[in-house]
Amino acid sequence: MVTTDPTRLMERIDKPAGPRRTSLDDTRGYRIFRVVNTIVLLGVVAVTLYPFVNIVAQSFSSEIYIRTGQVNLVPRGFNLDTYKLVASDPAFWNSYLNTVVYTVTATAISIVLTTIYAYVLSKHRLKGRGLLVGIAVFTMFFNGGLIPNYVLVNGLGMTNTIWAIVLPNAISVFNLLVMKAFFESLPSELEEAAAIDGLNTYGILLRIVLPLSKAVLATMILFYAVANWNSWFQAFLYLDRADMFPVTVYLRNMIAGATSATSVGAVETNAVAISANIKAVTMVLTVLPIVAVYPFIQRYFVSGVMLGAVKQ
Amino acid sequence: MRTKWKRTLLTLVAGSLVVGVAACSDDGADAGSALNLDGKKTASMADYKAGTQFKATEPLDVSLLFLDQSHYPLKEDWLLWKEISQRTNITVKPTVVPYSDYEQKRGLLISSGDAPTIISKTYPGQEEPFVSSGAILPVSDYLDLMPNFKDKVEKWKLQPELNTLRQEDGKFYVLPGLHEKVQQDYTLAFRTDELQRLNLQTPKNWDDVYKVLKAIKAAHPDSYPLSDRFEGKSILNLVAQTYGAQAGWGYVKNSIWNDQAQKFEFAGATAEYKEVVGYFHKLVSEGLMDPESFTQKDDAAIQKFAAGKSYAISSNAQNIVNDYRPNVSKIPGATVAKIPVPAGPKGDVLRGSRLENGLMISAKLAQSDKFVATMQFIDWLWYADEAQEFTKWGVKGTTYDKDSSGKRTLKPEIAFGGINVGAPKNLQRDFGFQGGVFSYGGPTELVQSMFTEEELGFQKTLADKKQLPLAPPAPLSEEERERVGLSETPLKDLVTQSTLQFILGQRDLSTWDAYVKELEAKGMNDYIELVNSAYKRYKEKNG
Repeated sequence: MVTTDPTRLMERIDKPAGPRRTSLDDTRGYRIFRVVNTIVLLGVVAVTLYPFVNIVAQSFSSEIYIRTGQVNLVPRGFNLDTYKLVASDPAFWNSYLNTVVYTVTATAISIVLTTIYAYVLSKHRLKGRGLLVGIAVFTMFFNGGLIPNYVLVNGLGMTNTIWAIVLPNAISVFNLLVMKAFFESLPSELEEAAAIDGLNTYGILLRIVLPLSKAVLATMILFYAVANWNSWFQAFLYLDRADMFPVTVYLRNMIAGATSATSVGAVETNAVAISANIKAVTMVLTVLPIVAVYPFIQRYFVSGVMLGAVKQ
Repeated sequence: MRTKWKRTLLTLVAGSLVVGVAACSDDGADAGSALNLDGKKTASMADYKAGTQFKATEPLDVSLLFLDQSHYPLKEDWLLWKEISQRTNITVKPTVVPYSDYEQKRGLLISSGDAPTIISKTYPGQEEPFVSSGAILPVSDYLDLMPNFKDKVEKWKLQPELNTLRQEDGKFYVLPGLHEKVQQDYTLAFRTDELQRLNLQTPKNWDDVYKVLKAIKAAHPDSYPLSDRFEGKSILNLVAQTYGAQAGWGYVKNSIWNDQAQKFEFAGATAEYKEVVGYFHKLVSEGLMDPESFTQKDDAAIQKFAAGKSYAISSNAQNIVNDYRPNVSKIPGATVAKIPVPAGPKGDVLRGSRLENGLMISAKLAQSDKFVATMQFIDWLWYADEAQEFTKWGVKGTTYDKDSSGKRTLKPEIAFGGINVGAPKNLQRDFGFQGGVFSYGGPTELVQSMFTEEELGFQKTLADKKQLPLAPPAPLSEEERERVGLSETPLKDLVTQSTLQFILGQRDLSTWDAYVKELEAKGMNDYIELVNSAYKRYKEKNG
């Protein structure tokens, strides 16, 4: 009948229904609400931003000012030596590289698997759909526990390989359900039209559905990438070699290691506390990529999650 | 739909049960019947005894659970590894576990039946959860394979201390680090310049400490003279032992041994414990001790000390060098030093054990043909004099020199702690020596060989202290341990909570009897009865 170009079709669907309220005819109550709202949210921003800025300030400060509690928002005793010191540690860069490799691989695998699973589940005519959903949802509430999981992964020969990091938990059920809802919200007429024009199932998924799903895909990539970048527990469990550790394990050992020694009262006389500015520098370098990428993906973020929220 | 769901659920639950049972069933290795050593002597030395250099007759690999410290992370090119394999013909294969979560991973590996042969850094008591699973070797059965260990136990008369490790079956499962003398590193550190300025003597007992703090308070009314770190647990421990109680770090179990009555008592309810609580209440209520001492992070306490807002803080030798001296240097003329551990109402006493953290050995080793060789290797590397010097100081001529009087000096290009500060290499980071996994315990001469003059002076003050009697073993059966496990933590939590309330004045000390009643309601008496009956049972069985 008409064009098969999906973006043009979507434009028609997305057209706003009527004129928006402009700020001119806002009510008094609404204006007061906005002022209060802004103040409250600015407070939240300050509270969330402060620790972050503080760590950044610490990373540029010298040790003695941190230890005497004089560093707040601005670096004191400015120096870049700590950055040079951390950057000259090959173990840090090695684990950094590991994190990049694990994150990219794990995210790619997760996206592929989640998309396939979610697309299948979005088709109501599928037989056994309820069971497939059930199997996924079951894992949200029950799991085998730490030791059986370890025995399983070890039994499959995956310990001390990248697969132990990227395969278990490749599908996040929450993400799966968000994606499923998104696919369900796509008009089925689109796919029918594509089918009439001769596309098979895979063609429909790859050429029609996925190009229309950029928002949700970007959101999923963001979710998975952040989760993988920050994850340390899998690596801690399944990896026994220091040269395979991701940077999160490196960082955790540095931060938690120093504090747990004293909390158990272990007579570890040679436990030297890692200096505060080295910790700060490592933290800053570790979160930097995520912080740098976030603003660019963030605009898809809200629309991606919300798109599936209302069924048509 | 509903029934379908139910059926799915049931199948899955049943399925996981079967898998779970199957996974557990192969754990019950029988270690007791392994005293016959035929066929287990591959690569072992026939004439191995104390003082002999161990060398396997053929190359072997031994796996080791290695605790990785972030300030000297494991490197494969450490001289330590090379020397170990050269000297013993054994290659150590480390399973690297970050320090931060070591205990969790250790538990996981043992429970999954996948633990390395040697499980390092295990403090006495930490082996208990694994005893009943049979995954850990009852090392006491095999001490004949360990001549150096036996030699040290005999020479330093450690048998009574060793007995405290015994489990209900009369065996012990952890190979502890052995010290010749009781070690005590923690005490209070004072701003000594302030003591001098105010003409105050170094306090000798806890009453003196009170008086000194009071004098400082008089000079600085708006300060808290003592703002402690370690959540106050170090100073609680020190005060309690001189009052005949246990608190803070010393409060490991709810029971305390009463040597006069020859029975265990509930540690958080004794009259002595009340006195300890009263002492701290006095400090806090008179403004001599920062109420935040018990909750603040270490960094916060250090900050107050470094900023000159407080004048005393708990410390060990390293804290002085690393945390306090560099940071108070901004205050002109400020000096810091440890004071000798103060005495108390029970005299100049010290509670302590000469046992340190040590090793567990996987029970699987006993079935291996390399059993004897591996045990000899462990005995040599961790307990032979020569090896203890090697894992601490490194290789003679390469990392250190030793003169004719036996005095060792680190090579000038190698730094460690306060020695050769600024040297390009570090004994721990670049060579792997003096690491927590291999180097601990040993003869006093060796333990103190890297101490500074200052620390040696501190250690001398400990020499005159009387050691408090040790608690006898009272090992619980598995069933009892489960019963105790239910009440142990709630009781301990109540003690900790109430102690803090009493000290901070949120609860009046006159309600002490009500507090004891609360403990009784939580099963205090049953708990102590159980411990005492276990003690009697063990005594009758093992003498």
